[in-house]
Amino acid sequence: MTTWLFARKELVVAWRRHRVLLVGALFLLFGLQSPLIAKLTPDLMRSVLGSDLPLKLPTPTSVDSWTQFYKNLTQLGLFLVALVFSNTVSQAVSRGTLVNLVTKGLPRYAVILAKYLVAAGLWLSALLMSFGVTWAYTRYYFPDDLTPHVWRGLLPLALFGLLLLALTVLGSALTRSSFTGFLAAAAGFVTLSLIGLIPAAHRFDPLSLAQDNLALVTGSKALHTFVPAMGLSVALIVICLGLAIWRLNRTKL
Amino acid sequence: MPILSLTNVSKRFGATSVLRDLTLNVPEGALYGFVGANGAGKTTTMKLILGLDTCDAGTITVADTPVHYGRTTANQGIAYLPDVPAYDEDLSPSEYLTLCGRIAGVPRADLMPRVTAMLKQVDLPTSRRRIHGFSRGMRQRLGIAQALLTRPRLLLCDEPTSALDPAGRRELLDLLASLRGQTTVLFSTHILSDVERICDRVGILHDGHLAVEGTLTDLRQQYAHDRLELQFSTPEGAQAAGRALNGAVQGTTVTLTATEAPQTVMRQTLRTLVAQDLTPQAVTHAETTLEEIFMEVTQ
Repeated sequence: MTTWLFARKELVVAWRRHRVLLVGALFLLFGLQSPLIAKLTPDLMRSVLGSDLPLKLPTPTSVDSWTQFYKNLTQLGLFLVALVFSNTVSQAVSRGTLVNLVTKGLPRYAVILAKYLVAAGLWLSALLMSFGVTWAYTRYYFPDDLTPHVWRGLLPLALFGLLLLALTVLGSALTRSSFTGFLAAAAGFVTLSLIGLIPAAHRFDPLSLAQDNLALVTGSKALHTFVPAMGLSVALIVICLGLAIWRLNRTKL
Repeated sequence: MPILSLTNVSKRFGATSVLRDLTLNVPEGALYGFVGANGAGKTTTMKLILGLDTCDAGTITVADTPVHYGRTTANQGIAYLPDVPAYDEDLSPSEYLTLCGRIAGVPRADLMPRVTAMLKQVDLPTSRRRIHGFSRGMRQRLGIAQALLTRPRLLLCDEPTSALDPAGRRELLDLLASLRGQTTVLFSTHILSDVERICDRVGILHDGHLAVEGTLTDLRQQYAHDRLELQFSTPEGAQAAGRALNGAVQGTTVTLTATEAPQTVMRQTLRTLVAQDLTPQAVTHAETTLEEIFMEVTQ
């Protein structure tokens, strides 16, 4: 109950601080831009390089549109959300806004869970909106059958985003610095990239959830091959949130 | 029967011992002035009572419920007003109080009328205006509103007047004084005149423990140094009177310490002045102040 109350407050604050607007606008832009870039790239190249190109430019397809979508979201979108929530716990602790509420009976675990729920909710909503826009424009511009499983690519990315946000919340609970949340997410990303270099570990590497999405969309890979990485991601999310609660329980407000 | 009891509480920060065997009992219904110099450990004591920090030794109970770090069971009947209350500034005062009330478990049907009444009592807008633009005084009043919203049995105020202007200070003191008989107040401050104005009991925290504790009347009797202050029109007159009365002279004022009953000293003094043909402009009987008691206890 208290988690829900605090989450509602967090959502109101996120809205009034224009966090929802910022993330929503940028994800909308990603959604619009992905099919548009795929559609316009050959024309742009022709206009810049002239019609005497030594090579024949391939006709763009829905694969190009979804390639651009996943590139935008994994290279920019994920980190944008991590940056927006980088100070989510640290700011509340350093400003002392939790003192009144905790002394009124707000459990500290509710603070972590509520902040994570709001960040996760914003990420999933923005992702879905961006996906919907890309899906609609891709269907309009590229009515081909090359990307039959668009939903399958989205699920792993959504889960990876949730993992990155759990790392952000944990980082933010560790110190009073505003950037630790983002740094924790970035450090997690780099670490997972290094683990992914070990061939035996690739099946379990959560980063694969944000790298092989196109293979799922085109149908060249099946979703069940990601189950180990998804399972590990869920476990890591639980561990990160558990550690964040443990840390906040020991933080002097 | 004390509503708040601290028994042999100790707290260290690294090598610094802030509280040493602090024992403090606050009777139900008291307006208790918790006095100490800056850094004496008043805020630390408050945080220990609220379960926001850990005791190194000793026990704390609120209404017979033991206080443990991180648990909120004992907090049910406590409210806290920090020296600088911090809020989520994007909320309106009404939204903030509603959140506080719901977290504290105030019944929903009762909450909105209570929020409106509380905002009215502390003279804050019930509109959607956000806390962001509030002055220091308005923030402090909102702090009082959030503290009293749950109708607590015990209110902990941590130097609530230290940063307010005289008008804001007076309003806050009047508000606290109006709680007499309804809520027990532990009022921490280093502004001694505030304590004299509203508190009925005083504890002076010095060197990590309560150096002195009791009602203001008892303390004045215990540390009684009644004085007579005589005001003269010229410094020369004051100096002549000072010599005749063996008093301390400062400018045009002569101060005499009353070693006997003030009336007896007054009579003798006036006789001496008449004999010396010295006429004071004013004669005042000055009571022992809390500041004097504080200085005597802490030096």
